[in-house]
Amino acid sequence: MSALLFTFGYRDRAMGAFAEHPAAAGRIARQDLYAFDNLALDGIDALLFSMHADQRFLAARAARIAAYIERGGTVVANGHIAYPYLPEVGGYIPSPGQGLKDLAIHRVAAHPIWDGVSEQDLTFRRGVAGFYGRGGHQPPAGATVVHTVGAQAQPLDFIYRVGAGRVLLHGGNDLWQYGGNDSTARIAPQLIGWLFGGAA
Amino acid sequence: MTLAVLDGGTFYHHDTIYGPRYRALFDRAIYVRDMAIRDLDGVNLLIVPDRINPDLLREHRGLLLTFLAAGKTLVVFGENEAETWAPGVAWTPRPTNFWWWLEADAQPPHRLLDPGHPLFQAVPFADTIWHFHGVLAPPAGARPLIEVPPEEDAAGGVLLYEDRVTTAGRMIVSTLDPFYHHGSGFMPATTRFLDGFLPWARQQAAG
Repeated sequence: MSALLFTFGYRDRAMGAFAEHPAAAGRIARQDLYAFDNLALDGIDALLFSMHADQRFLAARAARIAAYIERGGTVVANGHIAYPYLPEVGGYIPSPGQGLKDLAIHRVAAHPIWDGVSEQDLTFRRGVAGFYGRGGHQPPAGATVVHTVGAQAQPLDFIYRVGAGRVLLHGGNDLWQYGGNDSTARIAPQLIGWLFGGAA
Repeated sequence: MTLAVLDGGTFYHHDTIYGPRYRALFDRAIYVRDMAIRDLDGVNLLIVPDRINPDLLREHRGLLLTFLAAGKTLVVFGENEAETWAPGVAWTPRPTNFWWWLEADAQPPHRLLDPGHPLFQAVPFADTIWHFHGVLAPPAGARPLIEVPPEEDAAGGVLLYEDRVTTAGRMIVSTLDPFYHHGSGFMPATTRFLDGFLPWARQQAAG
């Protein structure tokens, strides 16, 4: 059981903490994104892409990523999609405004990754809304939408199947950034549990 | 006559460079992974946005030095380990206070050192103020523009300077990270900064 967490040249503390999280038990390896073409993906359970990933690079490899998922792999992607590197997902649509009605996070389906994480803690950080996500993407038919943002209910977190594999798109700041003194600290260990536990 | 910008391929570089707000200001966008010397033909001013992969910038260091040696202008923003590839740059990390504006007196620590610099006719000082990730120690003879004092255990230093002495060219170096935050659609001060800075940079490129 192992996952590759792709790095982008400079140090990212949240990424380091996630890879070294006790729940990961050494199963998350950091790997330079630009080594992707030389990696054997057989036996890798999951590919984890940061919001800081070079999407031009990834989009040029979309076919390999799609084939990896179809064979049973998991992909977790963060950020806004600017270049199409994931199968079947539309482009990013920002929320229409910066007010609370545009930025409130709503849970529309329960999911083990966010079990016990309050919508309030996702919506606000020190009283400020917008960090978790500020817009959405059009999910494929049949996707499970977990969170939406704003009055227009734009899909922010969703999970969908492709062949034997699955994709989690979080269209905001990296999920592994969350881990403060509130209920969002549950995300990292529960995400690790989902990666390696086999639940949908 | 040309203003060029490096593109790191992230969504926020995409949004800032190719989004409708600034797209017409850039004469050329160069995908950094494919950068070659011919991409800089005719370029007078090159912007290295914040959060360009520093491995690639180190790889292209010779090309950037050649550009400066030809008397051209290089603008370097934050979070790309400039101290490892840009001449004369000394950078010290400083814990980031994303929240200064929520505090009771909400006085940012920034000090404008050189209000007469023409940049500030295009960019109001207030539009340079948001969180920062580190401070710079400019080389002797460089022109420091904005600084922050030391605070508790954190080093003070410069957030923006102009250096015409280290190379035959001109470097404008900053720890600020406007491309990331504007392109993420979340920090209005960074948009106001680019609204002033990019037209000014275009003017400089026209020389």
